[in-house]
Amino acid sequence: MRKVILLFFIFVNLAYGYSYDDLLLKAQASIFPKIMLLDKKIENKLIEGRIIYTIVYEKNDYNTALEITKFIDENYNGHFNGYAYKINLVEFSDLSSMTQASAIYILNSDKDIKKVADIAKKKGIIAFSYDVKNLKAGLLFSLMLEKSTVLYMNKENLYIQKIDFVDSLLRMVKFIDKENS
Amino acid sequence: MKNKNSNSLSKKIVISIGIVSLLITLVIFSVSEKITKEAFYNVELEKADLIARTIEPLIALNIYLDMPDNIAQLSLQLMENPYILSVKVLDSQNKIISDIKSKEYQKGIEEFFVVEKTINQPNSTKKIGTLALVYSNKGYQELVDKYTNLTLLLLVALVVLFILFGLYVKKLLSPLVKIAASLKYYSPDKKMDIPFLSQNNEIGLISNALNGMQQKISEYSKKQKNINNYLEEKVNEKTLELREQLYIDTLTGLPNRFSMFNDIIETRDGALLIINIDDFKEINDFFGHIAGDNILKKFANRLKNMFKENEYIKLKRLSGDEFALLFVEKPPLEDFIKTAEKLIKDVEKMIFLYKKNEIGIRVTVGGVYQIEKALEKADIALKSAKKQRKSFLLYDEKLNIEEHYKDNMEWVKKLKKAIEQDMIVPYFQPVFDNNSDKIASYECLIRLIESNGNVVSPYLFLTIAKKSRLYSELTKIMIEKSCKHFENIDYDFSVNLSVEDILNNDMVSYIKQKIKTHNVANKIIFEILESEGIENYEEVSLFISEMKEFGCRIAIDDFGSGYSNFEHLLKLNIDYIKIDGTLVKNLDKDVNAQVVVETIVNFAQRLNILTVAEFVHNEAVFMKVKELNINRSQGFFLGMPKEGTDNKFIV
Repeated sequence: MRKVILLFFIFVNLAYGYSYDDLLLKAQASIFPKIMLLDKKIENKLIEGRIIYTIVYEKNDYNTALEITKFIDENYNGHFNGYAYKINLVEFSDLSSMTQASAIYILNSDKDIKKVADIAKKKGIIAFSYDVKNLKAGLLFSLMLEKSTVLYMNKENLYIQKIDFVDSLLRMVKFIDKENS
Repeated sequence: MKNKNSNSLSKKIVISIGIVSLLITLVIFSVSEKITKEAFYNVELEKADLIARTIEPLIALNIYLDMPDNIAQLSLQLMENPYILSVKVLDSQNKIISDIKSKEYQKGIEEFFVVEKTINQPNSTKKIGTLALVYSNKGYQELVDKYTNLTLLLLVALVVLFILFGLYVKKLLSPLVKIAASLKYYSPDKKMDIPFLSQNNEIGLISNALNGMQQKISEYSKKQKNINNYLEEKVNEKTLELREQLYIDTLTGLPNRFSMFNDIIETRDGALLIINIDDFKEINDFFGHIAGDNILKKFANRLKNMFKENEYIKLKRLSGDEFALLFVEKPPLEDFIKTAEKLIKDVEKMIFLYKKNEIGIRVTVGGVYQIEKALEKADIALKSAKKQRKSFLLYDEKLNIEEHYKDNMEWVKKLKKAIEQDMIVPYFQPVFDNNSDKIASYECLIRLIESNGNVVSPYLFLTIAKKSRLYSELTKIMIEKSCKHFENIDYDFSVNLSVEDILNNDMVSYIKQKIKTHNVANKIIFEILESEGIENYEEVSLFISEMKEFGCRIAIDDFGSGYSNFEHLLKLNIDYIKIDGTLVKNLDKDVNAQVVVETIVNFAQRLNILTVAEFVHNEAVFMKVKELNINRSQGFFLGMPKEGTDNKFIV
């Protein structure tokens, strides 16, 4: 019986892709847009007067991306603190430097993280990561639920000229670099 | 000595500087304490504010990102600061997000600061909450305590410094004390060694100056001493001279009145004669003052010779023409009187020669055979002797002369007071017409009202008034008040005038003026005493003529009391005869009086003179008056003298 159950989980896992922490997803969906607004240069990142919050996902994670979209809409009701927004769902394979984005939220992926990080750097926009490990690959922000909510930031990408966070944010985040995980 | 120490100059200087410095220090300390405490307070407040400002963005971010755990964590971190007593974070709806308090604060500490900070959304001005920080003032108190301790230490140091300064000043000024001590027993006669002469400072200067002064004073003192001795001698000489002048009469060389006072005091039982040269003024007026003085000198010498052998009789000159013989031992009374009488006789025999003129004098002597109040009593005796035209009179207690004098003086005082206080008033007694029985006129009679309201009759004060020269004043008052009273009353009135008044030109002018002023010439009747009128016929006649020209009328008062000269009366052109009261008083019984009165009435009727009977005191007299055809009657039976003239009595 045990073997049967184990096989079932393996199968489901293979069939439906990566397993996400729902609570973490909701926390990130709730906090990351707010962090985006802590950028003093957010005005420069508006596209046609709107914030375009681009969620990048693997094909298998489409439903998860939809769930996140639904959660954000429910919580923010079309506006991030006065700014109208649009959520743009983009598969990893479709992402290019031409993709419209004011900020990028990257769900889990094994291969294309570096590519996303480069695009974000090039655009000068914030790249939020579901998985904190991906910060080492060049993404800027992530969040973990530990004893309390902890924000992580890639120290190497801090000095992007097009992003200027409020000072207090920098005082409360935990920095990550290549040597320090 | 204690007193001198407290007045020490060094102490005063130090105390003055000390007080001034203490006041300045207190002011500076008070001001600086206030400023410092305020600064300390602000520093602590600034610290609390800085903490609040530092933590606010982090709390703001956590509220913004909806991370309450982090807020609590931050609050706890803040509470690690021992000065922070409480951290409270509220959201925009004032709901508590976090509220942490220290144990100390929970116990109810009283002194702290509260810093409230508005929490704004990061990158925006939107208020998303409030941070309330309770900050202990422990740090402030510690600073204040440190400051207070330091201040006290400084004050103690200042006090010590002042004590040392005081001691130093005292030491600096101590030579002055020594110099003062050495000067204490300074005498111009003795050379003194002044200390610190060699010192090369202000003390040395003072010492040298004092030394120089000492030498000058010494020289001056010697000169002054010589002058003083000389002046003392002169003063003694002059004092003797003045003493002699004080007690010696310069004209006659006899001891004077002051000398006699001294001798009377020293005499246990003696007697006194006062000698007055009669009418000496006439000698002065006739022969001149030099002659008078000459006679006085000679008279003094002769008196001196008369009594030079009697050591118990002392001759004195009292005043101008008055000398005294003071018996320092009382002789037998008989001898005393004999001495006085012999003296009078001897003087009468004396002849004084002046520029070929032979001048004789007479003296009046007043004596007293006792030493107590001798001068006053002898003087009274002398005056009485003069009055009685006797050459010698011995003072006699039984005569009560002294009391009489006193009484007279009292009356003079009373009169003066009454005149001053306007208490001399006229009383009005009606005079009735015997045909119509109606009031024909009023006689104005003088009265003195005493302070207790007593009405005093003129018999008590008129004689004294004449002697004391107040009589004319009284007449003027009577004239003024009577004229004024009858100015608007349709009655005749009579006023008594003495010959003294008539002879006084000033009084006559006054009477004329008052008659004019009050327009009473046709109403006024002047009553003149029969006896006085005769003695001064010419003057009285002139006065009557003048008054008649004005329209006034004249009455002869007390007619029949003297030796009436009908011829004179005829010439005087009088209007009324007032028959003397002594004749009227017993007219009903005294046949002689009736005969005299009848004669007077007949005489008056022939001359068209109206007759008035005074002293009509009963009905019988009144009936007799009428029977004898006397025209008018006056007396207590008909009407008493009263203050006003409302007397409408009809017989």
